[in-house]
Amino acid sequence: MAVGRSVPVRDAEARVRGTIPYLADLRLPGMLVAKIVRSPFPHARIRHLDPRPAMGIPGVVAVLTAHDFDRPGAPRLFYGVDRKDQPIVARDRVRYMGEPVAAIAAETPEAAEEAARAIEVEYEEQPAVFDPVEAMQPGAPLVHEDCPNNIFLHTRLRHGDLEAGFAAADLIVEETYTTPPASHAALEPHGVIAWWEGGHLTLWSTTQAPFVIQETLAEIFGLPRESVRVIVPPLGGGYGGKGYVRLEPIAAALAWKVHGRPVRLILDRFEEFVTLTRHTACIHIRTGVRRDGTLTARQVEVYWGAGAYADITPRLLRSAGLVRVVGPYRIPAVHVDAYGVYTHLPPAGPFRGTMSFEGAWAYESHMDTIAHRLGMDPLELRRKNILRPGDRFCTGEVIDEAFFLECLEAAAQRLGWGQPYEKGEGTRRRGRGLAIMMKSTLPRSRSECRLILRADGMLELHTGTVEMGQGAHTALAQIAAAEMGLPLERIEVIGPDTARVPYDATTSASRSTSMMGAAVQKAAARLKEEIRQRATPLLEANPDEIIIQAGRAWLQGRPEIGLPWEEILRRHGLEALEAHGVFETQGGLDPETGQGIASPHWHQGAGACEIEVDTETGKIRILRYCAAAYAGQVVNPALAELQNQGNVVFGLGQAMMEQIVFDQGQPANANLSDYPIPSLRDLPNELISLLLESPEGSIHGLGEMTLPPVAPAIANALFDAIGVRIRDLPITPEKVWRALHGDEADL
Amino acid sequence: MAMKQTFELRVNGRIHRVEAAPDRRLLEVLREDLGLGSVREGCGIGMCGACTVLLDGRPVSSCLLLISQVHHQEIVTVEGLGGHGTLHPVQQAFIEHFAFQCAYCTPGFILSAVALLEREPDPDEQVLLEYLSGNLCRCGSYLNILKAVRAAAQGRKPPSS
Repeated sequence: MAVGRSVPVRDAEARVRGTIPYLADLRLPGMLVAKIVRSPFPHARIRHLDPRPAMGIPGVVAVLTAHDFDRPGAPRLFYGVDRKDQPIVARDRVRYMGEPVAAIAAETPEAAEEAARAIEVEYEEQPAVFDPVEAMQPGAPLVHEDCPNNIFLHTRLRHGDLEAGFAAADLIVEETYTTPPASHAALEPHGVIAWWEGGHLTLWSTTQAPFVIQETLAEIFGLPRESVRVIVPPLGGGYGGKGYVRLEPIAAALAWKVHGRPVRLILDRFEEFVTLTRHTACIHIRTGVRRDGTLTARQVEVYWGAGAYADITPRLLRSAGLVRVVGPYRIPAVHVDAYGVYTHLPPAGPFRGTMSFEGAWAYESHMDTIAHRLGMDPLELRRKNILRPGDRFCTGEVIDEAFFLECLEAAAQRLGWGQPYEKGEGTRRRGRGLAIMMKSTLPRSRSECRLILRADGMLELHTGTVEMGQGAHTALAQIAAAEMGLPLERIEVIGPDTARVPYDATTSASRSTSMMGAAVQKAAARLKEEIRQRATPLLEANPDEIIIQAGRAWLQGRPEIGLPWEEILRRHGLEALEAHGVFETQGGLDPETGQGIASPHWHQGAGACEIEVDTETGKIRILRYCAAAYAGQVVNPALAELQNQGNVVFGLGQAMMEQIVFDQGQPANANLSDYPIPSLRDLPNELISLLLESPEGSIHGLGEMTLPPVAPAIANALFDAIGVRIRDLPITPEKVWRALHGDEADL
Repeated sequence: MAMKQTFELRVNGRIHRVEAAPDRRLLEVLREDLGLGSVREGCGIGMCGACTVLLDGRPVSSCLLLISQVHHQEIVTVEGLGGHGTLHPVQQAFIEHFAFQCAYCTPGFILSAVALLEREPDPDEQVLLEYLSGNLCRCGSYLNILKAVRAAAQGRKPPSS
């Protein structure tokens, strides 16, 4: 069986030889180099912009400004997957430091650089606001004039009688948690090659969402979708940062202006920091609890600082931004208010563990505060309230596949929770903490695939799923091989290329192995039927007596009477036989009450850790970290394990190291020296990955599940060690030290 | 821009004459002029290790070197390891131990590991961490990278009698 086996990724040899073609390795004849001119101010009026000095520089082919748009035959200036609030290049106002104001296409990078410096822009600085809570206050500078209080969306979840819930409580605990902007920091930067020729636009892009790009660009240019082709090479990491629309509009507009020659745009590391960030979040959480630990009510207000443009945030707020901040608990009354707020920072978007990371940071730290106030063991408090199979979540939906408790207990047990351990002494103190998280995946989304059996016996798997290192193409090939009973070597994966493969929503939210995998299964079942139909006359039998498996069709009970698939195709004079598979998830939440179906299934992950903190320096060392995820049916154990480890390593950076520091809107650490990401030296002394399998269960994604618990598990262990509660990420040595020695030492 | 000059580079055992300005970065020479795609830009400031090459056997960040600094020196990239149809034992170990995800960082890690094992055939954990911590893997495949390098080190040992 191809499923359940640890096979290496399909192009493993090319990966270790360094020959897999990332976007930066593609070379097209006549290709030009693009450069973006960016705003140096977080908020300013553009009083004057003169591109003419750039145009005279040798090697400069085109200069793009806002004047090129919104004329007959020209592309539209404004775009956005939800609110069309973002200009491709700024027209009269810039709203974040780094916002594009012009772009250049040139023969050489040197000419492009020189042209970028030559463009004259006169700005008039305006007051700006960077924190979402400050941005909502009366009198705060407006990011968009048509959006009062800078709130572009307020969504609500209403479940149960909140007042009665709080009235029934013996204790009410209220806290505020925050998370700062962070950088996805994929080592491969964003890149696009755009080529406009004869009314057709072709893009090679480092995107996780080729069909979203196709749709958006067709709209910007007023083209039928078929006239926009999006091809995605393997990505050097994504983590959400390459989801949705990034550089494609500006690269495509330059290509449109150049006409006939491909234009390549690749960001440098600084530009990465001002292109997309994690949300700036502020979460007020208030919970009522009985003396015995039973939760009675929870109210959450969450302010999602989205930066200067709404981007994907409105879609996230209609579901993820509500349901990912509550926690996997049975609570009779839950109210959530989520606000999408503009600020004068770069746009924020999906980020590995989106909104679950921020949510779990608040609700899981908060659970330990409650446990402490009740004098209860943190595991016991969770055990008492956790969602079990058949329970209703605050959206009203019944959770069938609920393994939250199993995940939590697996991690806790492996750590030795409840058993005595060395607490340390003097300046070295030890503590233990745990956390659990619940994450929705996308409701109302569709994945399609096509399987083509060729006359040479090869099976082509056409998919829009993006391979970004997660091993999705390998897992999908394994699923196809298992369904058809073919060896993996006979599966060829094709795509993503919107001109060749059928629709897929996005490669995000850990949905691909699960949803595209289901589409592959459906296509395989249909393909077998197609083969059966063709085999029936040749074998002179009833269709239901024919077995289609492992490359042959044969009579039930008479395996010697049969034909290879290639032979069946040949005898019918067919070059190929194809079948289409569609998998679609339903659901969605009521916009007023947040009631409905938030997710076709739930991602479940837990963490438990033991740390040692040096009270003289505030430095935390993680001695042991146990990460447990509910994995359902595992397609490739080695790759599943790798996802789980990656979650923890990525989570450690988010928990303890990473924050883009904006000083009055200017990024102060926009490089990989001042913004460190985890290295080998930052690993826990021991990292244990636990995957809870259920062979009868469905296939689950695993790319995020154990990431959100990392930060609260560490914070809870820190509280256990030294009684310090950190509520603002990241948990840096400086914050720990200040909490111990400074004003906040009496927490 | 500085005037172009002719430089002689020894890359993967072959001599290349390159016309370039003396301040052209080695990274660009290798990628753009010599077509060696395994040398990749990640951070541009020598922090991530994605552009690691071996310079006279030492791992260095090619984004921090100018072509005029490496005139006549011996450079090895991942393309120069292994051979037709065969992989270097470190490359093989990376596959066997699933030591990568997106693999953008992989050539850099492999070169650092090759240099390490040349210098320290039997590295202890401290040396291993020290040598490899100059390369970053954002996907977080570190545990498997360590396993792969340890296995490659084991494979180099003469069989015990």
